[in-house]
Amino acid sequence: MAQDDNIYYTRGLEVPETPEPGAKPKFWEKTAVVGKPTPRVDGYERLSGTAVYPSDIKLPNMIYGALLRCPHPNARIKKLDAGRARKMPGVRAVMTGDSAEAKNLKWRYDDFTVPLLDPHCRFEGEAVAAVAADTPYQARDALAEIHVEYEVLPHLADHDRAMDENAPKVHKTGNLVGKDEYSRGDSEKGFARADTVVERTYHTQCELHTPMELHGCVANWEGDRLTIWESSQGVYAVQSTIAEVLDLPFSRVRVIGHYMGGGFGSKLQPGKYTVLAALLARQAARPVKMILTREETYLSVGNRPASTMHLKAGIKNDGTLTALDFRCTGPSGAYPAGGTSLVDWLIRDLYQCDNVSCRSNDVYINAGPARPFRAPGHPQGSWALEQMIDELAEKTGMDPVDLRLKNIPEVSQARGGMPYTTTGLARCIREGAEKFGWKDAVKKARQHNQSNSHVKRGAGMAACLWIVGGGGQPSTVVIKLFRDGSVNLNMGASDIGTGTKTIMALVAAEELGVKPEMIQIEHADTGTTQYATPSGGSKTVPTEAPTVRNAAVEVKRRVLEMASVDLGVPAEDLDYNGAEIVSRSDKDKRIRVTEVSRLKKRGVVVGVGYRGPNPSGKTVNPFGAQFCELEVNQKTGEIRILRFLAAHDSGRVMNRLTYDNQVFGGIVMGIGFGLTEFRQLDTRQTGKLCNRNWHDYKLPTALDVPADMESLPIEIDDPEANNTGAKGLGEPVTIPTAPAIANALYMATGIRFTRAPVTPLEVRRHLDLQKEG
Amino acid sequence: MHYDEKKPGGGVTRRGFMQIIGTGAVGASFAGVAMAARPEPAPPEKMIPAENTVKIRLHVNGAKQEVLAEPRWSLLYVLREVIGLTGTKEGCSRGECGACTVLIDNIPRYACMTLAVEAEGRKITTVEGLMDGEQLGPVQTAFLEEDAYQCGYCTPGQIMSVEGLLRKNPDPGTDEIRTAVSGNLCRCGAYKNIFRAGKKAASLKNK
Amino acid sequence: MLPHFSYVRPETLKDTIRHFNTKGAALHAGGTDLLGCLREKIMDVDKVVSLSALAELCEIKKTAGGGLSIGALATITQVAENPLVREKYPGLAQGAAEVASPQLRNQGTLGGNLCQKPRCWYYRGEFACLRKGGDICYAIDGENQFHAIFGHDRICAITHPSDTAPPLAALGAKVRAAGPDGARSIEVEKLHVLPKQNVHAETVLKPGEIITRIELPPPGENRYSAYRKVRARRSWDFALAGLALALETDGGRVKNARVFLSGAAPVPWRSRAVEQAINGKRLDAEAIAAAAEAVVEDADPLSQNAYKLNLFKGVVEEQLHAAARAA
Repeated sequence: MAQDDNIYYTRGLEVPETPEPGAKPKFWEKTAVVGKPTPRVDGYERLSGTAVYPSDIKLPNMIYGALLRCPHPNARIKKLDAGRARKMPGVRAVMTGDSAEAKNLKWRYDDFTVPLLDPHCRFEGEAVAAVAADTPYQARDALAEIHVEYEVLPHLADHDRAMDENAPKVHKTGNLVGKDEYSRGDSEKGFARADTVVERTYHTQCELHTPMELHGCVANWEGDRLTIWESSQGVYAVQSTIAEVLDLPFSRVRVIGHYMGGGFGSKLQPGKYTVLAALLARQAARPVKMILTREETYLSVGNRPASTMHLKAGIKNDGTLTALDFRCTGPSGAYPAGGTSLVDWLIRDLYQCDNVSCRSNDVYINAGPARPFRAPGHPQGSWALEQMIDELAEKTGMDPVDLRLKNIPEVSQARGGMPYTTTGLARCIREGAEKFGWKDAVKKARQHNQSNSHVKRGAGMAACLWIVGGGGQPSTVVIKLFRDGSVNLNMGASDIGTGTKTIMALVAAEELGVKPEMIQIEHADTGTTQYATPSGGSKTVPTEAPTVRNAAVEVKRRVLEMASVDLGVPAEDLDYNGAEIVSRSDKDKRIRVTEVSRLKKRGVVVGVGYRGPNPSGKTVNPFGAQFCELEVNQKTGEIRILRFLAAHDSGRVMNRLTYDNQVFGGIVMGIGFGLTEFRQLDTRQTGKLCNRNWHDYKLPTALDVPADMESLPIEIDDPEANNTGAKGLGEPVTIPTAPAIANALYMATGIRFTRAPVTPLEVRRHLDLQKEG
Repeated sequence: MHYDEKKPGGGVTRRGFMQIIGTGAVGASFAGVAMAARPEPAPPEKMIPAENTVKIRLHVNGAKQEVLAEPRWSLLYVLREVIGLTGTKEGCSRGECGACTVLIDNIPRYACMTLAVEAEGRKITTVEGLMDGEQLGPVQTAFLEEDAYQCGYCTPGQIMSVEGLLRKNPDPGTDEIRTAVSGNLCRCGAYKNIFRAGKKAASLKNK
Repeated sequence: MLPHFSYVRPETLKDTIRHFNTKGAALHAGGTDLLGCLREKIMDVDKVVSLSALAELCEIKKTAGGGLSIGALATITQVAENPLVREKYPGLAQGAAEVASPQLRNQGTLGGNLCQKPRCWYYRGEFACLRKGGDICYAIDGENQFHAIFGHDRICAITHPSDTAPPLAALGAKVRAAGPDGARSIEVEKLHVLPKQNVHAETVLKPGEIITRIELPPPGENRYSAYRKVRARRSWDFALAGLALALETDGGRVKNARVFLSGAAPVPWRSRAVEQAINGKRLDAEAIAAAAEAVVEDADPLSQNAYKLNLFKGVVEEQLHAAARAA
């Protein structure tokens, strides 16, 4: 091999055998780069400060937008006067419900259509008007000069009151968004067969996404063509919404989102702010940057709805679950948004149980609509189910690990018995327990608690699955191989911080035999990159990675066809190793890729990859189990988590470095859900939001999470799932965290903490109740 | 970006293809930070009227810079929207998240809670100022190697907090690192790796 | 985004007072509280008077009498890390280390920490509350889990947010204040005002009056001091319940105990009941139990903060046991 090959190509990387033209790539038995701990391909940009996030964009002549929002949870605008605002220094555009640009436009909350600037504001923070000015300071000054007279209407803040007869009605039709029912078997008979029946009510509080980068965009018109830089999880989703609202052809709306500072589900869609930025930009004939304030994001860009859950479970003395009955109420907010969506999924599907019934009421309240939030519904359902399993284990005298292992389903019962392609549930629980030292931890905690120290210890665990995680169609990826052998990978998907780009580079590198850092990635731009669904739901890697692989295979096939002309050997007999095309039957027949004559002439070879279908008749799901150890100060209610171990089956580990990071991040978010985070509405008075900032709404800090976190991948070959064997990871890693903590708290205190989050207040309150007996 | 295997513990440049270039003219700018002129004394008292802009002199990453600013403008706004140093991020503008952390006279502070006029004459270091020419500096390199970030938005602030710690305490323990970044939220939850990066950064710096 | 204001950075204390003694003027020390208040528009300010040219107010120095004089502009970090403070007044060092976040400790000043505005979410939020000139205190009938159990008199239920004022008060510190009418000393214990005295002010400082120094008396023999803060998260959080303790021991018996609570009342709350329960006593289980019971005498919990009663008892127990071990 010529010496300079090492500039571009692999040194000593094994490249999988090139499939014959038209053949599907075989499952990788072993890999050279996929799975290895690899620093991110965009790490330099992110760490040097050169990565340009949407909030960093500054265009020539750009001005700054700001939104006026309704300060009441339910109010009708009687009068709005923006006359003074228009005359304020620096103001270039003002948009109200009466503005020509805005007045006929509609906005859809799910299937509910309202005027873009609706005179009836059904939640605090609904958009009322917008301005754009030379500086963001001037834009805020101008907002203060818009005078609005509201008719303040009765509001509903408590979802548990939504179905009361005398509750204020959020919509004329009432407060019920919808009901969902599911059943299999016969619960009554199941409970009759049980030796023990336990019932409990559980609550989880509304959780806010609060990604670090504020929601926002920059909008710029060039003639009739609109370009938007949006902090987004999916540029194509933004494009379609904005094009529909503005009645523009999709082709005239270009959305770019190369970098984004976190979304967790809250940036799967654009906001009214995106449309208003475009309208202000049109009115001012200047680019507009519209970045929400932190306080606005607390009100208007989604949440994980609160839940009130009632679970009744029956069990036999041998540990067989005989019946589960689950009821749940959750609020969508002021518009339909899946208030109880998927909350019951784990009850339906996680454990073997023949008799299951679930009923959910999704209701309206006068608060910002929900949005999908990392593993929608699952952390809530897990909070109930996994605490219940712990309680059943205690009642039957079984170890919670053993009880779970006793009830591992072989098929997806919620899907009528459809098999999983693979299930690592049992292995996650068993091997996780072993690695964690579960038995020992339990013993030590119990021993410790015999002492008279007021600091008690507990160990707890919980398991999970995630409803999807196999990805799926559609996706298209284009890979270009240039005549110098370097590679461009073009996909529409966003990298939301999970390391998508790096994984895709690894996949392409694996297949093409070049180094990952030699692959330049173009992504997340509707103008220049391929169609992709938004990144979320733990589906990005299992969707895009097989597509990337298909594109790489297609590039190889075309290169071989070109080389076969030069070599006089049929393409079927050729292999590509990243540097050279070599004949399988005669190793002397070889040509360097840079010498392939048709490639030299054409300059580039293009391979298009499409996502194939998922296996029919089977379901692809990730599984996991988490274990923790903690201390509780019984005098003060303070909780200190000592360590966590997470065992997850997400199929093939694509990049061990980013894999572990996802796992740790899921645990941290679960700690927030379980211990510190809640939205506090002024329920009994104004219905307004009390905690709209990061001081009053408390994310875990570096001092609230253990440094001792361990990730144990349970890697199971899953060739049926897709051609890479990857399953989703981002959602499952946050599902069982909070109930694992709650179960450890029970061991420490003897108290079932059924209300999340378990703040020191909550601990103290329960200790007081315990004292009173 | 290219990760250069030949230089353990350092040497990450964007120029995978041209790594020979770009490392030569480096040393100077980093040293320049350390040797920057002492802060000039505050200007004599004068009232800046509310809606006026006034010329202020900043020392940013070793370079003197004059900008026109209103009294109410934050240092964060001036860095990002006036000067164009967008590595420093805005997460809340309320002093609650740390994404805007910069060093002022080597001490980590929130740029969102600092008026630009108050930063006059002070030595300001942003994440861009930690670059060793085109190469990532030691703290940045440690963050890369330990994967101490996900979306990357809180990251410049985390880096500046670790940098500030190491300038004061070159060999911190894990608890000191945890405390040093306890004013920097990370919603992706990369804390564990940030602690490890803090350790690694100390060893890279001490080499 | 902040509203407009004019800005001045006087070079002498005299000019500072002159500028500050006008309507609509606000002092900028570290700025960490002021800028937040301006963003929330909780007060009308048209002039910001910066203290940052007054270098002499940054110093921490020993006094002739053997005490310590801390310039009002010393940052919280400087106080927390100062060797003299750590050695002689550990309660203050511990309190300072518990303030907000590292960056805010690097920026915020001791004087500012004593004068900060409350963190009640109604006061800071878009609620026209009594303290801001509105008609009612929303916390009394609202979401009051973080509010006061003492001293609110059902008028205004803020808790005082400072972590340095309780240990300073326990240590018998005074502030030096300079104003248009000259300088004076005020005991930290008497610096703050209850809602029933004036619901629109947090301190007794008069218009134009500035804290210049904080003065600690000599530490005395066998003096023990500590500060403990229970909070909902371990960084950037205010006290759910806090306890500042300073006491001396004489032949195994406690004397001159001074006990101040944070997270308890609209001012750093002196618990004379606890002091009485331990003064003259050995810190044995019986005395500690009695002190724990005493701490919540006269408490008036609101609808959602009765948990603070046993929380304060728990903190008192824990801290008196720690003091007993240390003594």
